[in-house]
Amino acid sequence: MYSLTRRLLVFVSIGLAVFFGLTAVTLDAIFRDLAQRSLRELLDAQIVALIAAAETDVAGRVKGASTEADARLRTPGSGLYAEIRSLDGRSLWRSPSTAGTFIDFAAPNGVTLPALRIARLADGTRVAISGRGISWEYGHERSVQELVFAVATSMQPYDEQLRAFRTQLYGGLVAAALLVLASIALLLRWLTSPIRRLESEIAALEGGRLAVLGGGYPRELAGVAQAVNALLESERRRIARYRDTLGNLAHSLKTPLAVIQSAISGSADTATLTRQIEGELGRMRGIIEHQLRRAATSGGRVMGQEPVPVAPVVQELRVALLKVHATKDFAIETAIDSGLLFAGDRADLLEALGNLLDNACKWCRSRVRVEAALLGAGERDRDVPSGPILRLRVEDDGPGIPEELRQHGPMRGRRADETTPGHGIGLAMVAEMAELYGGALRLDVSPLGGCRVDLLVPAAPDSTAR
Amino acid sequence: MRVLIVEDEPALRESLRSRLVDAGFTVDIAADGEEGLYAGRECPVDVAIVDLGLPKLPGLELIRRLRAEQRKFPILVLTARDRWQDKVEGLQAGADDYVAKPFEFEEVLARLQALLRRAGGWASPSLTCGPVVLDTRAQTVSVAGKAVELTTYEYRILEHMMLRAGEVISKTELTERLYDQDFERDSNTIEVFIGRLRRKLDPDDRLKPIETLRGRGYRFALARETG
Repeated sequence: MYSLTRRLLVFVSIGLAVFFGLTAVTLDAIFRDLAQRSLRELLDAQIVALIAAAETDVAGRVKGASTEADARLRTPGSGLYAEIRSLDGRSLWRSPSTAGTFIDFAAPNGVTLPALRIARLADGTRVAISGRGISWEYGHERSVQELVFAVATSMQPYDEQLRAFRTQLYGGLVAAALLVLASIALLLRWLTSPIRRLESEIAALEGGRLAVLGGGYPRELAGVAQAVNALLESERRRIARYRDTLGNLAHSLKTPLAVIQSAISGSADTATLTRQIEGELGRMRGIIEHQLRRAATSGGRVMGQEPVPVAPVVQELRVALLKVHATKDFAIETAIDSGLLFAGDRADLLEALGNLLDNACKWCRSRVRVEAALLGAGERDRDVPSGPILRLRVEDDGPGIPEELRQHGPMRGRRADETTPGHGIGLAMVAEMAELYGGALRLDVSPLGGCRVDLLVPAAPDSTAR
Repeated sequence: MRVLIVEDEPALRESLRSRLVDAGFTVDIAADGEEGLYAGRECPVDVAIVDLGLPKLPGLELIRRLRAEQRKFPILVLTARDRWQDKVEGLQAGADDYVAKPFEFEEVLARLQALLRRAGGWASPSLTCGPVVLDTRAQTVSVAGKAVELTTYEYRILEHMMLRAGEVISKTELTERLYDQDFERDSNTIEVFIGRLRRKLDPDDRLKPIETLRGRGYRFALARETG
């Protein structure tokens, strides 16, 4: 299992390391460059001062330099050294500060470098050396003395400066990186806190300490929380329905069992007893069938259900019913737009339409008609919920439904074990299913002459009307 | 009429078998899907009862295979799962009708007879050819309104011929429909039954309801009346 937080932190750390690393290298190079430039300027100034302080003999030839101006030139090991030599490499003068220190002012090939040269002394300290060639004119004949004025200065201040800069630079950068990482970690903790809350609430749900997820989730998670709650609700309803079904089943089976029991203990003759038991068996069978159907209905809209296209379901049923009622000469007309989608379980739709159509096929003389449409705004009334509604209409040209059944609806005042076979039980089942989906079942007289049944169930939002 | 029962529950199978035999059927039985497939291929079946929940080969698959092999006899499905989804699946696989468990035997019988009539092209339960009327439910026969007394075997032969009135039916076919074992295919027996039927249906030898086609078999020659 991977962690989003850890993943992000690892990537950010790598990014920061690369970024700050490049920054450090660049800044370091720039600083070193600047420091060396100022070192060279310093040496140049020293050389110019040395030339100015040159001392000559009577003939005007350079023989040394005055050390009056800079005490460091007089102090051995002070860090500032100077030399004047002829171009052929002969040293004419060395500053007193060089006493005890050997400095090779000349380049390895004997030529003084015009640029800065860095050399290491015997004691390990480093010095920067620079020199300048001068053609020294003297006397009245304008004789020329070719000289090199060279100065060396200890690198120690430079090194110290660089070290201080680096300490500051790296310290700053590492501190900045740590700060960024820490703030990202904090941000992540803050951002993921609703997720952790969701996790703990779900754990609480599992443990039974919580019934539904609370509100106050950010927009990104509110959908998840809502979906979980809907799932819970549908699961709760399902469990309640199973419990009801089991309870109803057990209770309603007890009555016929009691009748059989008392019939057996009574002193009726065998024929009466058989008849009684047969009657009760039929009743028990009806009860079981009814409760099983109820339990099998998926019970309204469930999360993640794919919308069911209505037309193919009707087509399947049409083929099946024409086969079942093959000896009867009748036609099933269908007018169903292929864009109509039922928001629910396919098996429920098949079951409901199967019952309605089967009834129509049984009772019709020669015509059965199935239509489906989205319910218009004007056709709604109080017992229809909001949202798109699908109206599935099944009509036949048979004798129609008894007035009494139509008036009172298929279920009113009837218990499951009292419903009569035929139109009754199938319709009751369909009405129950419609109710579970928040829809309705309506009975009327068809213009065809027989019965008209309208089944109102939720349509999927992306249904297209004709 | 020869019926194949494919049912894995022994008690149910036995009760169906004995009651169908009582009702005048010749019965073949199979206890699982594979046996059912074998019997459906090998026996001259007129109609089959298939339970959907079968071991070895599920009922739906059995029906699909029989249909794929061009076995066209009608199939009645028995199912404990009484949802339209299951019914539609069964009918799509090639079954012709269904009965949900638990059922009453009379229901199964009525459906079987309806399927057989349908296969012969009859719509109503009473078969009418000229003055001869055979009621498949009451298993009675009348000629010009007068009841004719027939023995079980006579009735079964007549029913078979009238269901397929107009078609030539061989002696072998009639024998197979009458006896579940082929221990004695004595065609003389059939000839005797046909002779008796002719005398009973047509004592004056005017109607000539059964035609003999030498070397090919018999044909019920009276025209069907639709309805």
